[in-house]
Amino acid sequence: MEVDVSNYVALSAVMFFIGVAGVIVRRNPLIVLMAIELMLNAANLALVAFSRAWVNNAGHIFVFLVVTVAAAEAAIGLAIVVAVFRRAKNVDIDEVAGLRG
Amino acid sequence: MLLLLLWLLPLGGAILLWALGPQIGRAAGALGSLVVLASFGLALMLFGDATSATPLHQLLGTWVPGFTFGLLLDPLSLLWALIITGVGGLIHVYSIGYMWADRAIARFFAYMNFFVFAMLTLVLSDNIVGLLVGWGLVGLASYFLIGFWFYKPSAVAAAKKAFVINVFGDIGIMFAVFALYAATSSIAFADIFAKAGTFSQGLLAAVCIGLFIGAAAKSAQVPLHTWLPDAMEGPTPVSALIHAATMVTAGVYLVARFAPLFSLSPPMQETVGIVGAVTMVTGALLGITQWDIKRILAYSTMSQIGYMIMGVGVGAYQAGVLHFFTHAFFKAQLFLAAGLVIHALHDEQDVRKMGGLRQRMPFAFWAMLVGTLAIIGFPGLSGYFSKDAVIYGALEHGHPVLYIAGVLTAGLTAYYMFRMIFLTFFGPYRGEAGVSGAQSEGGQVPDHAGHAPAWVMQLPVALLIVPTILAGYLNVSFGGGPSPWMSFFGPLFSGSNNVAGPVLQIPEFASGMIVLVFVAAGIVVAYLRYGAPAVQAAAVERLEAETRAIPQAFRRGFYFDDVIEMLVVKPSYAIGRAIAGFIDPHVIDAGVRDVVWVAGALGAVFRRLQTGLVRGYALTIVAGAAAFIAYFALIGAAR
Repeated sequence: MEVDVSNYVALSAVMFFIGVAGVIVRRNPLIVLMAIELMLNAANLALVAFSRAWVNNAGHIFVFLVVTVAAAEAAIGLAIVVAVFRRAKNVDIDEVAGLRG
Repeated sequence: MLLLLLWLLPLGGAILLWALGPQIGRAAGALGSLVVLASFGLALMLFGDATSATPLHQLLGTWVPGFTFGLLLDPLSLLWALIITGVGGLIHVYSIGYMWADRAIARFFAYMNFFVFAMLTLVLSDNIVGLLVGWGLVGLASYFLIGFWFYKPSAVAAAKKAFVINVFGDIGIMFAVFALYAATSSIAFADIFAKAGTFSQGLLAAVCIGLFIGAAAKSAQVPLHTWLPDAMEGPTPVSALIHAATMVTAGVYLVARFAPLFSLSPPMQETVGIVGAVTMVTGALLGITQWDIKRILAYSTMSQIGYMIMGVGVGAYQAGVLHFFTHAFFKAQLFLAAGLVIHALHDEQDVRKMGGLRQRMPFAFWAMLVGTLAIIGFPGLSGYFSKDAVIYGALEHGHPVLYIAGVLTAGLTAYYMFRMIFLTFFGPYRGEAGVSGAQSEGGQVPDHAGHAPAWVMQLPVALLIVPTILAGYLNVSFGGGPSPWMSFFGPLFSGSNNVAGPVLQIPEFASGMIVLVFVAAGIVVAYLRYGAPAVQAAAVERLEAETRAIPQAFRRGFYFDDVIEMLVVKPSYAIGRAIAGFIDPHVIDAGVRDVVWVAGALGAVFRRLQTGLVRGYALTIVAGAAAFIAYFALIGAAR
C-alpha cells in the first residue's frame, strides 16, 4: 500500500508548528530545546518523504547531516542551559536577558 | 659571470656580517676587507674585456619591454669600479686598526660592504633606473655610516641632514628618468643615447637639470653642499671612502656618463661648469678658516669636486675624470693620515691643539706631506697633471672666467693645505691630550681594550703613496700620440669634445707655470703666517687672536645653512605646525569624531529592538518567515 506524499508533508507541517508553538510559548529551556528538535525532525520527515516520492537519494543524505547537526545542537544547548543554571539559579528563559539593549 | 660576482660579493659580505656579526666579532674586519679586495681582483681580471671594442655587458632580466636590467662594464664604469674596490679595499684594511676597539666593529664592516655594493650598483648599471637605485642605496649607506656613532646627537643630526639633502637630489634624477622614459620608451643608456639627437632643446635642458640636481646633492655642489662638512661626524675611514674618494664623486660619474646629453645642450654645460667653479672657490675659501682637521679636508674635497664638475661641465671629460682618479688616491691618503693623527691623539681633531707632531709621528707626517703636495699640484705628483688638465680644459673649451677661477683656487688650495701641515706637524705641541699613543702611530693607546698591530693602519697609507705620486703619468704621452689615459676611454667621449678654441692664447706649458706661481705664493703665505720660527714661538696667542678675527661670514659658512634654514626648514616647520594645529584636530580628528557620533546615534535607535526575550526573537523569526512565504505565495498566485 502506497501512502501519498501529501500525508507525510501534512504530518511534517503539524509537527513543525507544534515545535514553533513550543518555542514561543514555553519558558522552560529544556522544553524549548525539545521543541527545536521537533522542528528539525519535521523537516527531516519532509525531506525523506520527498526523497522517496521523487526517487532521489539527496534527501536521505541531507537527513543524515541534519541529524548530526541536531545532535551537536542538543549537546551545546544543554551545556548552555547547565551553565546558565549555575550562574542564575533558575531556568526561566525570560529571566535570561543579559543582552537586552 | 665574473661581473655578476664582482657586483654581488660585497653584498654577500654585508649580509653575512649583518646576520652573524656578534659571532664573527673582530674577524669581521678581515672578512669585510677580503670580500672587497676579491671584487678588486675580479675588476682587474675584467680590465681587458671592459676596454675592448665591445664593452662587457651582462643581462640580468627584463621586467616589461623597455625595462631591461643589466650590468655594463665599459671604461668609465671600470674606472669607478677599480677605485671603489681598490681604494675601498685599502680603507677597509685600515679600518681594521681604526675600529679595533669599537664594540660594533661587525656592524661597521657590514655597512662598509653594503656601501661598496651600493656604489657598484650605481656605476655598473646599464640603465638609468638601476643607476637611481644605486644612487639611493649609497645615500642610505652614507646615512648609516655618518650616524654610526648614534649615541652622539651631532652625528645623528648630520646623518639626517645628509640623507634629506641627498634624497632631494634623488628626486631630481627621478624626474629625469620619467622624462627620458617618456621620450624613448626605454631605460637603457644605449637606447637613450642613440635617440639623443632627436631630443628638443627643452627636453634636453629638463633632463640635464634633473640629473644635475642629483649630481649636485651627491657631490656637495653649492648650494647643496652643507651636509658634507657635517658628515665628518662619521668615523675617519668613512670620511675617506665615502665622503672623499667615491660616493661624492658620483656626480662626476653621472655627468660623464650622460656626456652625450650634456654635450647637446651648451647652456646646461655652461651651468654645470659655473656651479662647479662656484663650489670650487667657495670650498677653498671656507677651507682656509677651519680649525677641525677633518673639516679642512672636507672643504678641500668639496673644492676639488668643484674642479671635477667644472671639468666635465665644460666638456673636458677626460680631464675631469682624471682629477677624480688622482683625487681618490691623494684624498684617501690625506684622510687616512689624518686618521692616524686623530687616533694617536685620543680623537683630538682641532689643529690648534696639535703641532710638533713631525718628530713623534714621522710616518703620518710624510704620508700627509705627499698627499698635500699631490693635491696642490706640485710638479711631478699626480695632482699636478689632473688639476692642470682641468684648468686648461676650461680655457680650451672657451671659458676664460672659469680658467681664472681655477688658477686662483689652486693658490688657495696650496695655502689652506700648508696651513694645515704647519699647524699639525711643526712648532711646539700645543695640546693637552696625552701623546703616549703618538709613538706607536696607528697602534692604540693603552687605555683602550687591546690593539691591532700598527702596520694594519700604516700599510694602506703606504700603498696609497704609490698612485698618489704616479697616477698622473697616465696622462703623459711618451713618444707622441694620445696618452694612455686618452686612449683608455676609446670612443666613449668622442663627439662630446667640442673644443671651442682658446679665447686667451696661452700655451699649455705657460698655463702650468702660471698655476705654479699661484701655488708657490700660497705656500709662502702659509709659511709666513703659520710656519716661520718666529710665528711658531707665539703660536698659541696668535691662533687665539686669529680665531677671534675670523669674519662672521666665514664662521657661518657663508650663511648657506642659515638661508636653507630660512627658506626651506622654517617654512616646512610652519606648514607642519599648521597641519598639526588646525588640519589634524579640526579636519581629520573631527571627521573621525563625526563618524563615531553617527554610529552612536544609530545604535541608540536600534538597541531598542534587542529586548533580550528569546521567545520574542522566535516570534519575530516566525512572523518574518510567514511574511516571506506569504509574499512568494501571492506572487505565484498572481502569475
